[in-house]
Amino acid sequence: MNHSTSIRSHWRQFLVSAAVALLTACGGGGGDSGGGTPPPPPPPPVTKAEAFRFLNQASFGATEAEASRLIALGDSTTAYARWIDAEVAKPAGTLLPYVETAYATLSAQPNFNLQQLNAPRVEKWFENTLRGSDQLRQRVAFALSEILVVSQVGALQNLGFATADFYDLLARGAFGNYRQLLEDVTLHPAMGVYLSMLGNQKAVTGTNLRPDENYARETMQLFSIGLVELNIDGTVRRDSQNQPIPTYNQNIIEGFARVFTGWKWACPSTNQNCTFANTRAQATPVAGYNQILPMRLYPDQHETGTKLVLNYSGVTLPNATIPAGQTGAQDLAAALDNIFNHPNVGPFIAKQLIQKLVTSNPSPAYVQRVAERFNNDGSGRRGSLEAVVRAVLLDSEARNVATGTAAASAGKVKEPLLRLTQFWRAYDGRAASGKYGAQAVNFPGGVSSIFGQGPGQSPSVFNFFSPSYAPPGEIANGNLVSPELQLATEFLNTQVTNFFWTQAINRTTAQTGLAADTMFIDTREEQSLVTDSEALINKVAEKLLGGAAQMSATLKAEAKSQIDRTAAGTTANNNTRVADSIYFVVTSPEFVLQR
Amino acid sequence: MNIQRRKFLRAAAAGGVAYAFGRTPGTVYAQMSGGGGFPDYKAMVCLFLFGGNDSWNMVVPTSTAEYDAYSTARGGPLGTGSGLAVPQASLLPLTLQTPDPNGATYGMHPSMVGMQQLFNAGNAAVVANVGPLITPTTKAQYQTAATTGHALPPQLFSHNDQQDQWHSLRGRAIVKSGWAGRIADVLNADVSAQQLPLNVSLAGQTFFQAGEIATPYVMGAAGANAFAGFGTAGTNLARRTAFEAIANASYGTVYERGYAAVQRRAVQYADRVNGAITAARDFTALPNAGVTLSPLATQLRTVAKLIDVRSRLAMSRQVFFVSTGGFDTHDDLAADQPGLLGNVSASIKSFYDALTEIGMQGSVTLFTQSDFGRTLTSNGDGSDHAWGGVQLVVGGAVRGQNLYGRYPQLTINGPDDVGGGRMIPSVSSDQYAATIARWFGVNDTNLPLVAPSIGNFAQRDLGFLA
Repeated sequence: MNHSTSIRSHWRQFLVSAAVALLTACGGGGGDSGGGTPPPPPPPPVTKAEAFRFLNQASFGATEAEASRLIALGDSTTAYARWIDAEVAKPAGTLLPYVETAYATLSAQPNFNLQQLNAPRVEKWFENTLRGSDQLRQRVAFALSEILVVSQVGALQNLGFATADFYDLLARGAFGNYRQLLEDVTLHPAMGVYLSMLGNQKAVTGTNLRPDENYARETMQLFSIGLVELNIDGTVRRDSQNQPIPTYNQNIIEGFARVFTGWKWACPSTNQNCTFANTRAQATPVAGYNQILPMRLYPDQHETGTKLVLNYSGVTLPNATIPAGQTGAQDLAAALDNIFNHPNVGPFIAKQLIQKLVTSNPSPAYVQRVAERFNNDGSGRRGSLEAVVRAVLLDSEARNVATGTAAASAGKVKEPLLRLTQFWRAYDGRAASGKYGAQAVNFPGGVSSIFGQGPGQSPSVFNFFSPSYAPPGEIANGNLVSPELQLATEFLNTQVTNFFWTQAINRTTAQTGLAADTMFIDTREEQSLVTDSEALINKVAEKLLGGAAQMSATLKAEAKSQIDRTAAGTTANNNTRVADSIYFVVTSPEFVLQR
Repeated sequence: MNIQRRKFLRAAAAGGVAYAFGRTPGTVYAQMSGGGGFPDYKAMVCLFLFGGNDSWNMVVPTSTAEYDAYSTARGGPLGTGSGLAVPQASLLPLTLQTPDPNGATYGMHPSMVGMQQLFNAGNAAVVANVGPLITPTTKAQYQTAATTGHALPPQLFSHNDQQDQWHSLRGRAIVKSGWAGRIADVLNADVSAQQLPLNVSLAGQTFFQAGEIATPYVMGAAGANAFAGFGTAGTNLARRTAFEAIANASYGTVYERGYAAVQRRAVQYADRVNGAITAARDFTALPNAGVTLSPLATQLRTVAKLIDVRSRLAMSRQVFFVSTGGFDTHDDLAADQPGLLGNVSASIKSFYDALTEIGMQGSVTLFTQSDFGRTLTSNGDGSDHAWGGVQLVVGGAVRGQNLYGRYPQLTINGPDDVGGGRMIPSVSSDQYAATIARWFGVNDTNLPLVAPSIGNFAQRDLGFLA
């Protein structure tokens, strides 16, 4: 796709599908018909490899079925935007109702403890990502969950409803406005607990008590603007000494810390008389319970004085100061507006979403194109995530396969968890019990202990990996990054590699007697080709790489030779042949690469 | 000469390769002499306390005037209002070998019985008020830095940036390596016979161990995991061979190459570790079975085992990275700190005791690092991000029972406070690192490569290691 097609795709996104169809019709039979020039050749269809590439960016892993559906939506100038149109319209899959149902069962058992509510949240996450139809929304929500981080690890370990509802909030807001999302996140009790804004109280004169700076700091550093001033293309601005320019200082942190005072658990609907001092997290889901209600302002604990906030070109607050005497809600709105309108937000969020969905090392021009959509979605609105996501996925740099020197750093390493979801989606992973990814049999010790990450299980607000991580060697030396390689340690790679071996050799449709919760894969097609190693390895490559031709000669030769070292015939030997075929592809560097 | 070094020299000889470390040309590494090897064994163990340890409650003044200042700054005793001060009577007395000339005395947090024992027995030292600095800094210099250009580490009080400062000692330079990684670089020729990289992490990837040319090895907390489906004969051996062939193939992207390199190392090093570690002894202090060890103690047990089998792996110099988290105590300091510090103390004590079982305590130095110290002032039930703090150094080579550096004046808006009870470090992380690196075998010429700002400080060696 060339640049003009990319622009055309952007433009197209504002048209309803009927109008798209009309445009296509006009393009086919209109203006050129009177002249002598031959009509241009019709745009080519989306190839299977291209469909895989797109779906690995936009979903929890390409499957042959979804690739076929995408290809049928139109040619290479229309199919992607139409696929996105349909995704945006889909309602969000949720986690909370499943956790609430699980609670009803679990809490009736002896020795129940609240930490047990984390496992059903993870199960439902796997169900949504493997089976849910709102793939793009969930994929964006997952990316957002790695920027706007809360985690079951730490203060939220016993607040399973709050963490489930927080993720649902991200899914609901995945195509909404970032200003609204920032507010919803700020007031969500999961975030309130995680970054200790919940219960943050005003200073007491005559003592050394002063407001908590945690949320003030991290919401700017990680959720919105970052530490240093950025150009619109995401590159770092520098002062005359060639040093980066900090976006804020300690005085501004303290200003925001004062803004974020006075908020604590909402009263549950059964008790409207709670106070700042006595309100507590409600451990039981009943109507209107406060683990999911936005935090409530207790005015007596809110700082009423002036607050220094961010100063930047175009700041609207006089002297970048929130005036004294406002309500807590007014202060919050003013502060979030002040953050949201900082020029860094567009490039900061644009680059991170590109890195999480498409490539670790986008060109500055790509970041700028997406940041500009953040700043103005085309109708003058700032902060539309829908416009941003479209811009990320429909950009020429996302859709075209890089050539020349750019090819070596195009794409990214798939996150370990996304490798797993792609694999399970491609191989119809499921369990007899109907549960997905139940911890006890599939991930003893937890998903994170094997994959280095799990939904809502980050070790800290800094996520499982840093957007700026560069392993030593050619990546660091080339001033490139590969965030996901932070999880590619010798230890975790071995864990993940072994997980796939176990899955391929012992947990398939060819085995009987598996535990009810054991996730197994469907290898019946592979079993039907088991005598023909060439056909067998090609089949696996079709499912996992989007085509046999996508497989390198080395991978094919090594895998095929290994398959042939075991003679077909007995059940055990056939299973080994199938396992080797799957194992070598799913653990290969070329599967790990998201092209 | 090992493969990494050969490759580096080849690349350097071919020209055009710049392993930039600040303004130091990478060729410096290639020109370094060495290769003689070490006649002895030494190990550094970095214990990183993730989140920013509130160390003003870890080592606390007990003399009346100093304790009162501390208690006032912290808003009174824990349990009364928003106070964060550990009650005076509960502190575990530390007996200084050389008493403070002004009569100040110190105690340890009541949960740290093991650390108190190590200190009073002369096997542990306290380094007071250490943190990232580029050059010695006074309060006045800090306050006027924006106009004078006085060099400060960027993004003070930010978790990841200050972790990076501790890991890399980078100051304001753009640096791709940590100081342990650079130790591996400068000792590269001396440790070329080692079967494992000089740097081994038991706690995941860390910038601390990333070298300009040397690569660390990350293994599991409880040991190296072997590959399933691999064997030493027949189809299972062939599977391994095929796997390695795929990992050794050439790839078109940096991502595939980066991943494949890890796969190669994983296969190779797991063999070596697993071939050796079964010979390690079962320590009474850190037993294989019968006691549930904390994750930190589990990491340290594995370290002790690797030290026990050092000869089998031809190791003479090792840097181990272990960690424990949860120190970002913006909330619930009263409830959480005893468990956090208690675990640190008990784990370190057990580790030291395990080393004495094999007679290696004199060859191993464990030292702590953390994101930053925390504010003396309270935010209600916790403290916020600050700067300097207290670190612990443990081992038979430590000139123990002493406090190094200068314990600050814990007074809000006092001479050491830049606001809110954020203490300016009195000694720098570079000095702390340089002291350890010298003991470890880095010569004075190469010390600035490890600790790049060391030249800005009069004292290159704080003296806590013999």
